[in-house]
Amino acid sequence: MVFRRKWTAHEADEWTKEDYWAVVFSSLSYLLVTIGSALCFLLPVWGILLTGAGLVCAGVMYWIIDPKLRTISLEYEARQKEYLKELDRIMSWEER
Amino acid sequence: MVVFTFLDWFWLLSFLVLMTLCGVLFYRLGKRSESDFFLAGRGLPWWLPASSVFATHTATDSPMWISGVIYRYGMTGIWYAFFAAWCATSAFISTRIFRRSLAYSQAEWQTLRFSGLGAELLRGWMAGWQIFMQMFIMGWVGMAMGKVCNYAFGWDQWVGMVLFSSVSAIYALASGYWGVVMADFQQGVIAGIAIVIVSVWGVVVANGPAGIIRRLTEMDQLWRINPFAFSGFFTGDFPAAWFLTMVVIALLGGFGMGTTIDWYTEAQRIQSARTVRDAAYGIWSGTLLILVTNSLWAVAALAFFVLFPNIPDTSEYEMAWYRIGFDYLPPGMIGFFFAAIVAIHLSTIASSLNLGALYLTRDLYHRYVRPEASQSRLVWVGRLSTLVLLLGSFVYGSMMQEITRWLIFAIWIMAAGVWLPNILQVIWWRFNSWGYLASWIANLGLSWLVVWVLPAFGILPVLPDYVQFWLLLVLGLAIYIPVTLLTAPDELHHLVRYYVQSRPIGFWGPVRKEAERLGLLRLIQVEP
Repeated sequence: MVFRRKWTAHEADEWTKEDYWAVVFSSLSYLLVTIGSALCFLLPVWGILLTGAGLVCAGVMYWIIDPKLRTISLEYEARQKEYLKELDRIMSWEER
Repeated sequence: MVVFTFLDWFWLLSFLVLMTLCGVLFYRLGKRSESDFFLAGRGLPWWLPASSVFATHTATDSPMWISGVIYRYGMTGIWYAFFAAWCATSAFISTRIFRRSLAYSQAEWQTLRFSGLGAELLRGWMAGWQIFMQMFIMGWVGMAMGKVCNYAFGWDQWVGMVLFSSVSAIYALASGYWGVVMADFQQGVIAGIAIVIVSVWGVVVANGPAGIIRRLTEMDQLWRINPFAFSGFFTGDFPAAWFLTMVVIALLGGFGMGTTIDWYTEAQRIQSARTVRDAAYGIWSGTLLILVTNSLWAVAALAFFVLFPNIPDTSEYEMAWYRIGFDYLPPGMIGFFFAAIVAIHLSTIASSLNLGALYLTRDLYHRYVRPEASQSRLVWVGRLSTLVLLLGSFVYGSMMQEITRWLIFAIWIMAAGVWLPNILQVIWWRFNSWGYLASWIANLGLSWLVVWVLPAFGILPVLPDYVQFWLLLVLGLAIYIPVTLLTAPDELHHLVRYYVQSRPIGFWGPVRKEAERLGLLRLIQVEP
């Protein structure tokens, strides 16, 4: 598989190619939908084709990034408070 | 002048009551704490920040400046609105970093990212700057509303601005961000429906897609439907170099924080989302809706061009979308159209009121005046700040005359010299508070010099805006990089804390090594 579909919390915290590819497809999607949705009312065939291509790009983006985002969110949100408390404790100990 | 029928009044009054009531209903939630008044308790599912992003950035001035550039440059003008594409990158990069920082605002983030006196100066500076900017934004959006009311009803411009901005203050004062975001959802739906109806109506009035193409062909203006019909690579009014500059600014800008003025509003929506994932999808999908809306406005403006091709006055043709609505919709629908305009206006003003109040309350009062203030006191200070912002917006609004000119200046120039520093602060550990502060101060001086002062004295020619951007970027670089390297880095343990919590992208080698040495990265490696 070109893109990872399963992540541990530690792996998901790192910046990987999935993040960059999500940005590429996200940008393409914006570009195509911007042009396509305008052309739908001027040159309908081209407009529908370009808008469709933009939505496909959005789908690919979601497919690539969603497993990683889910992992980051579940882990981070669940441990947010506890983690901050622990971090403060360690850092204040270091500062002393 | 527009004459309202009974049905028109019914639409307008029903929507006004509904929108205001919807916001006020969340009074009890809004008053619980500072976090509720400004971030809705950080518990929103992605579609609420998304609708808020859409509603907030769909302002009464938006169809004006989009109509202005489309009427002038044809579909190529759509790229002026493509700045919003910074969210294509930000949704998966800076949004994630910022949400994990847990900062209430971009000003607070400064004290998490930087340390010492420099960080405090930055926080105070940014809070003051944002309070000013929110009043400025409300001023120009308010003036746009005044202009619409002047066109439709012949009212003095200040009447439309004061009347409808005050209505939005009712629920912003009562319920804070809870009221704003809930009303935004409703306003976004109403505005979205109206934008589709009026824009499609404009195409129909111009005899449909075939009619528009035929008429453009007859006028030898068919190039106007080509979004890439640039005037040359470097030459003409709309060169490809401008387009490439804008794409670079937008897409690379998403790696940073604050690379566009919209970031500060988005930052609040990012923090109000319940998870990193909700924040990412909220920002991404809200922006997608904005881009589609811009395209619909662009089509309506092109239809308007076909109907009225020779208008020389900018202030007249930038009203294209509004004129289609007021002049061509049937009686009974005009009230709905105007109610949608009011919805568009209220959502933007309420968001700016709450955002400006956040900076005033959280970053100035809570941080520097009374750090031990109770939650209830902070909510009341939030309300008082909202009122101050509203009054300030009236003052700024009364000082602005030509919307497009101000907006383009604000977007291009006020951000030019700090665009790169806004990225560097996220991706480079060595970039310190003094370097960042220097870039802001330098930019304020340089932007006015390059754009207004030096050309006025004939020392510098009047440069195209994209050249001004690159010039300001280089001039700024020559100031803030030496300042950064000649001053000490931020305190290492402070950087470690920030790194472990936010996990920023880029060049953080020494900080990461220290975090690993302290065993801090292992803290978040524990399996559930």
